[in-house]
Formats: sequence, C-alpha cells, structure tokens
Amino acid sequence: MNPDPHELIEGYFDEILTPEQLASLSDWIKSSSENARVFANAARLHDRLRNAMGESVLVQDEPSPKASVRSQGGLFFPASVWSTAASIAVVCFGVGLLWFLFGQANASAAIRELNRIIVQNTLSKDRTYEIVVEEIYPPIDRGANRPPTLESQRPPKPPLDGAIVHVREGNQFVLIRKTSEGLPFVTGSNGKQSWAANARGPVKVSSNIHHFDRDLPGHETSIPLTNLHEGLGRLRQAYQVQFSTLGPEEYEVSEGETARMLVAVKKPKERGPQRVEIAYESISGRILHMRFVQMPYGPDRLDLRLSLVNENDLPRDFFEHTSHHSLDRNVETEN
Amino acid sequence: MDQNSQQAIRYWTLAQPVVSAYVTSVIRDFRDRDDVLQSIAVAILESFPSYDVSRPFVGWALGIARNQIGSYLRERRRNRLVFDGETVDLLATAFEEIETDELRSLDHLQECLDKLEGRARQLCELRYQNDLKPAAIAGLMSMTPNTVAKSLQRIREQLRQCIERRLSIKGVRS
Repeated sequence: MNPDPHELIEGYFDEILTPEQLASLSDWIKSSSENARVFANAARLHDRLRNAMGESVLVQDEPSPKASVRSQGGLFFPASVWSTAASIAVVCFGVGLLWFLFGQANASAAIRELNRIIVQNTLSKDRTYEIVVEEIYPPIDRGANRPPTLESQRPPKPPLDGAIVHVREGNQFVLIRKTSEGLPFVTGSNGKQSWAANARGPVKVSSNIHHFDRDLPGHETSIPLTNLHEGLGRLRQAYQVQFSTLGPEEYEVSEGETARMLVAVKKPKERGPQRVEIAYESISGRILHMRFVQMPYGPDRLDLRLSLVNENDLPRDFFEHTSHHSLDRNVETEN
Repeated sequence: MDQNSQQAIRYWTLAQPVVSAYVTSVIRDFRDRDDVLQSIAVAILESFPSYDVSRPFVGWALGIARNQIGSYLRERRRNRLVFDGETVDLLATAFEEIETDELRSLDHLQECLDKLEGRARQLCELRYQNDLKPAAIAGLMSMTPNTVAKSLQRIREQLRQCIERRLSIKGVRS
C-alpha cells in the first residue's frame, strides 16, 4: 500500500520519517509539478508557523536532545566579505536588513537564550579568560565643589589590561594582574574565603567572600567579572537583551558550532556598563567572549573584553590562596 | 542608504517569505534555516548590482538560495539535504510559480493562531517556538511521540481550514 502523501509531508516537517518514507516522498514530489506545488504550500505553512510562533533565532530554555546530536560546523561570513570597506558597508546594511526582515527577534526570546547560556555556563568546567582593556574613559567631572568620594581617595587599582581570570562555579575565582611596577597581584576566592596576595606584604584572607571585591571590575554594579552566573543574571533584570549579528571578529568555535551574539543594553537609571556583548556557541552556549562597554571601575569607565582562553578543569586547590604564594608568606586575617 | 540598496530591500522584502519557505522545505532545522537565510540575504545584497531587473526577482533570489544551501552544507562537510538535486530544483520551480494571491493567504495565519488554546497552543509553542521535535515534546507533555506527531498534524490541518474559512469570508465580502 502506498503511503498517504499528506502523512508523509507532515511527517517530513516533524522529522519523523524513515529513510524509506523520505525516498517515497521525494519520488512523489518528482512525479508531478502539482505534487511539488502541494509540498511547497505545506512548507510555506510550516515556515510561517515558525516565524509567527517563534523567533528568527532559535531559543531553547533547556539543552535539547537535538542540540546534542548536531554534528557539523557553523557559518562564518567569508573573510573577503569583511576585507574591504565596501564589504563592511554591505554587511552593516545587511545587519539592518536582517533585523528588519527576520521577524524582529524580541527581548523575551533573547532573555530565554540568556537563561540557557547561564545554565550551560553554570554546569561547565573551569574557565580561563583573558581581559583586554580596549578603552579607558576619563572620570566624569562632577564639579570642583563636590566632596571627594571614598573611591577617589583610594589608591589606584591594579591595571586590568592583560589580566587573567580563572573562574569556577560557586563564587570561586582567581584574578591575576600585575601592578604598575610589574609585580604580580593575585586576588581570589575559594567560595568560602576571599584573599589577596600582593607581591609585598602579608597575604590577606577574609571570611567575607566579597571583602576584596573593591579591586574587581564590575563589583560596584553587581556584574562581577569573576562570577559569570551572577553577572549574567543581573543582565536579565537591568538590561534590554537582544540578539545581534556578529561583528567582523572571528571566533574559534567547536566542531559543529556556530557563533552567535547577544547584546544587552543598560536600562535607564540602572547602574553598570552601558552595553554588554556576549558571543557564544549556538548549541553549547559556551561563552567565547564578553565585551563590556563603559564598565565602571573606580572613578574610571572602561571598555574591556573577556576572551575565553582555556576550558579545562584546574587543580582542585587552585582557588586556595596557598596555590598562589610561597608557603613562608605571612597570612593575615581580616574581617 | 543609496537607491540601489533601497531597491534591494524592497525586492527582498517581497521575496523573503518565499525564499524562507523554500529553505525550510529542504533544510528542516530552524537554526540551519536561519543561518542559511542570513547568508542568502548577504549574498543577495552583494550580488544585487548584477541582477537583471527584466527577470523575476523571486526566481533570481531562489537561484542564489539554491547555491547558498549547497555552500552551507559543503562548508559543514555534511549532507543533511534529504532530497536529491532534482527534487530540490523542482521545489525551487514550484516556489517560483506560487501566485501572489496564494502568498497572501497566509496573512490570516496569525488570526487563526490566536484562536488556538490549551494543549494545542502548548504543542505549537513547543514545536515552533522551542523547536522541539515530537519525541522531545512527548517527554514534556506525557504523551507518546506518535500522539504528538498526530496532534501537530491535526493542528496544522485546523489552521489550514481556519485560513480557508477566512479567505472565503473575505471573498464573499469583497
């Protein structure tokens, strides 16, 4: 008995046909142009349903079985597209066009995608990011008559450019910077204690895990670079999150992955960087880089970028201060 | 934006639903579809100066789409097209021949979707919003994959009937 073509068409779009049924459907389409037209009309409904119900960019609240079986690579625009100013103009135009035409990917979908990224990154391995400071903006002039703030009276913070931050779930991090004299300055937390190991003086340890946060970018605005989970969660509340098209940067993605971009723009009256860009792998949700535009850092504002440089489990005691200084150093406890 | 670009936008706005449906007809994964559509849009913008305005734009755009689908799959070193080249070409022709009136018929889809309630709506959302296949939906809804597939089939049929009713009402009124 020949299978019902309509059943085959429906099954095709839900991806439940066997290879034999797929072959039958293909033969049926080829057998007349009218059949091809019937199939095309079914495809139009299926396609329009996706556009009407969903978004132009796929979102999933949870990792799905489908995601795990995707096996092939992602799309990058060819390098030549980006290589000339004319091409850049074309692509910029394309970005606007895509935004306009592909159904206005809305904020709720972007938020769902952000949720997925948070979950995926929470479950993931230890990660190491490199911090690059792209721009330093001068402090905002608040008027000569205003009293100096506590922040402005504090010693300068160690430079962030070239810093390395290792993060592990559970508020654990190690941030390695160099002072302006080129000496190492390591701050960290094992999730129960925070600590700071300067090259000179005693190693300071506190049972308050936020005790040394002052030197961490983003801590003033609850977007700590050392706690991605918390920082990304804050984006949900204080930012408008949208899908965006990738810029000209190239990203190294895993086999079968495509790079995607979410952009979060700060809502009025909220504190924090003006804009946060998150480039991530579309299936795994693995964050490839984050860019913070005008991130408050003491009296300054910075544009800085975190790029994933490593994703391997670090030694178990890596987030203990003892792993980052010689054992003969004095250790002082602070409250 | 120059005049050329404005014209490209106008043409692409009209052709995009057909091109999108064509891509969906051969690449069922919505993520892949979105990626391919993105590359098609860029290719069309880049190639637009060479477009011969005496020829139908949809046909030209479908030709670009056909090439982009091929490139996309080649770049990924995979063959996820389940149809052979002949079928894919036949479908391109079928999409090119869709009449404007037929295209407009789906404008009623949203009104019909708005009428979906309860489990039908939930199934539709899981399938089209969250891009889950019947097997995954079955796990979430305590149904069997076969029941989910049948339900989705019924829902789409209801939507088709709803659209036809609206078209006939509109036909009577006009």
